[in-house]
Amino acid sequence: MKILVVEDELKTGDYLRQGLCEAGFVVNLARDGLDGLHLALTEAYDLAILDVMLPGIDGWQVLQGVRRSGKEMPVLFLTAKDAIDDRVKGLELGADDYLVKPFSFSELLARVRTLLRRGNKLREPDVLRAADLELDLLRRRVTRCGKKINLTAKEFSLLELLLRRQGEVLPRSMIASQVWDMNFDSDTNVIEVAIRRLRAKIDDGYVPKLIHTARGMGYVLEVSE
Amino acid sequence: MRLPHGKSVTLRLTLLFAAVSSFVLLLLGLVVGHLVDRHFEELDGELLVGKLELVRGALAEVKSDDDLKFLATRLEGALVGHHGLFVRILAADGQIVYVTANSDILPPPANSSVVTQPIRMTGRDGTSLRVLSGVAPMDIPGFSPAIIELATDLAHHETFMASFWNALWTIVALATVASGMLGWFAAMRGLAPLRVISRDAAQITAHRLNQRLPVESIPVELAEVVRTLNEMFARLEESFHRLSDFSSDLAHELRTPVSNLMTQTQVAVSRERSVDEYREVLYSNLEEFERLARMIADMLFLAKADNGLIIPNREAVNLAAEVREVFGFYEAIAEEQNVSLILAGEGYVQGDKLMLRRAFSNLLSNAIRHTLHHAMVKVIIAQEAESGKVRLTFENPGENIPAEHLPKLFDRFYRVDSSRQKASDGAGLGLAITKSIIEAHKGTIRVFSADGLTRFEIVFPAVVPS
Repeated sequence: MKILVVEDELKTGDYLRQGLCEAGFVVNLARDGLDGLHLALTEAYDLAILDVMLPGIDGWQVLQGVRRSGKEMPVLFLTAKDAIDDRVKGLELGADDYLVKPFSFSELLARVRTLLRRGNKLREPDVLRAADLELDLLRRRVTRCGKKINLTAKEFSLLELLLRRQGEVLPRSMIASQVWDMNFDSDTNVIEVAIRRLRAKIDDGYVPKLIHTARGMGYVLEVSE
Repeated sequence: MRLPHGKSVTLRLTLLFAAVSSFVLLLLGLVVGHLVDRHFEELDGELLVGKLELVRGALAEVKSDDDLKFLATRLEGALVGHHGLFVRILAADGQIVYVTANSDILPPPANSSVVTQPIRMTGRDGTSLRVLSGVAPMDIPGFSPAIIELATDLAHHETFMASFWNALWTIVALATVASGMLGWFAAMRGLAPLRVISRDAAQITAHRLNQRLPVESIPVELAEVVRTLNEMFARLEESFHRLSDFSSDLAHELRTPVSNLMTQTQVAVSRERSVDEYREVLYSNLEEFERLARMIADMLFLAKADNGLIIPNREAVNLAAEVREVFGFYEAIAEEQNVSLILAGEGYVQGDKLMLRRAFSNLLSNAIRHTLHHAMVKVIIAQEAESGKVRLTFENPGENIPAEHLPKLFDRFYRVDSSRQKASDGAGLGLAITKSIIEAHKGTIRVFSADGLTRFEIVFPAVVPS
């Protein structure tokens, strides 16, 4: 997967490139709008991350140029202003998502993966699996090692989210928004408690442990070696 | 006359004053002039009528041609001393029986016209005359009836009136100038209190916002304005203090995490350490950064609320459903603390689901945190029957909040116990945000704490059917 990053802020650009590279993406970094637009038009990317405030031509113009040339890759905006106008303008011009600075890297990574996934219309499986844990979406049943585990509705949604995005670190804010529809910075203890309870049901007494805490970033479900 | 807006009040008053007084003087002058004119007219009329009778009497004496010869002498005797009076007597056939000297200025004789009321006429040489005529029987055959024509020269009256009008215009012009000057003086004097107010107001600066304009020495008409200004100053002072408190609180709040980050990092890099130790430092930094980021996001929200940029959606919100959603979010935590969550009643408001959920979430998280174990947090929704207002209360048993803290509870960064600063307490912006959200919905929020019960009460205005 190849990602174009257009960001003029030196540190931000560098850490975005490093972080995305380490997450397994091929990253091209442009430091201003003109370079960014040139790269976007000449090379093939699976996704572009654009800063709004850029020297030369701004992020909106890069986006317009890209869309005019008929390229349909998903575009994620980084904006310093949390203004509704900016948001509306970006979405009107054909941006797919946006993030307000300061954002956490795990949040960015989760959004990038969501956007990339949107493209492939693979048929979703009816049963999600990790090691010997099975979650049956149709029967709404969870088993580990063949034994049935009783989960509440919210615990079920939480486990489903973690399983669908196996191996990805999910920030707390994303979990709160996806499972409880709380789209604001809320009491993060709530997520901690919910994860602890889910762990008690699916991990306690089993090997290997599936739910892991990525300190300071969020939670991840993976079968680690 | 349209006075220019935004120009000096003194100038406007001066112009108005001059205009009004010259108008009044002019009116008065016109009335007086007209009356004098009328008076002269009456005098002339009386003179003419009197003389007509005199001439008629003289004619009545004329019985023969001899008498006719004496008529001139008699009339001259009777009319002596009346300069500018012309008499002409015509016989029935138009023959001039008698005429005074210089009478050639009279209009030519016209038999048919008998002027029974004194009227104004212009003589042959352009002189203004007042004319009256009458018929008198004469005993001399062929003469009767005779026509008596009298005219009086108006020149001296007209001279008088002309000088009268001249004097009047001059007086009006002078009076206009004089009243303009007096008006200017009066306006300057009258507006003196305004200058005092302006001078006093100029003394009030950011450093002396506690000063007020004195109301006692101000005329009653301006007292209302001054009171309004003083109220405005009071509001400004309050906002200003809140703002400067906010900035200093903000600096203080930022200083702690930033200095933690700095010392921790400095200590960490001061010598070689193991990878695990480095990782530990980075994790610890990450936690501080997260707190800072959340604080910044919260402050941006509040800044937007202050500038009226928080514009909630207007959709029907089922309060009970939203509270239930928030209950769902906090269920696990509440269970762990053995706190039960109870909801009663229902109600609807026009508003923004997401924002209201955020406000309720803050209140509920607060309530759960400060509730005793094995107790319950109650949320009661009630729609008032008459007013249609919706009342929403969050109630939890817990340690009473001392009364002196209650009014400040919604202030930014305010903590009841300033020494206690748990990480879970957040930055102390939760209740301020809640209040902003409720106010953006035109609602009010208050807090009560007594007898081991703390209660937050929100009142939303009645839903206006659209």
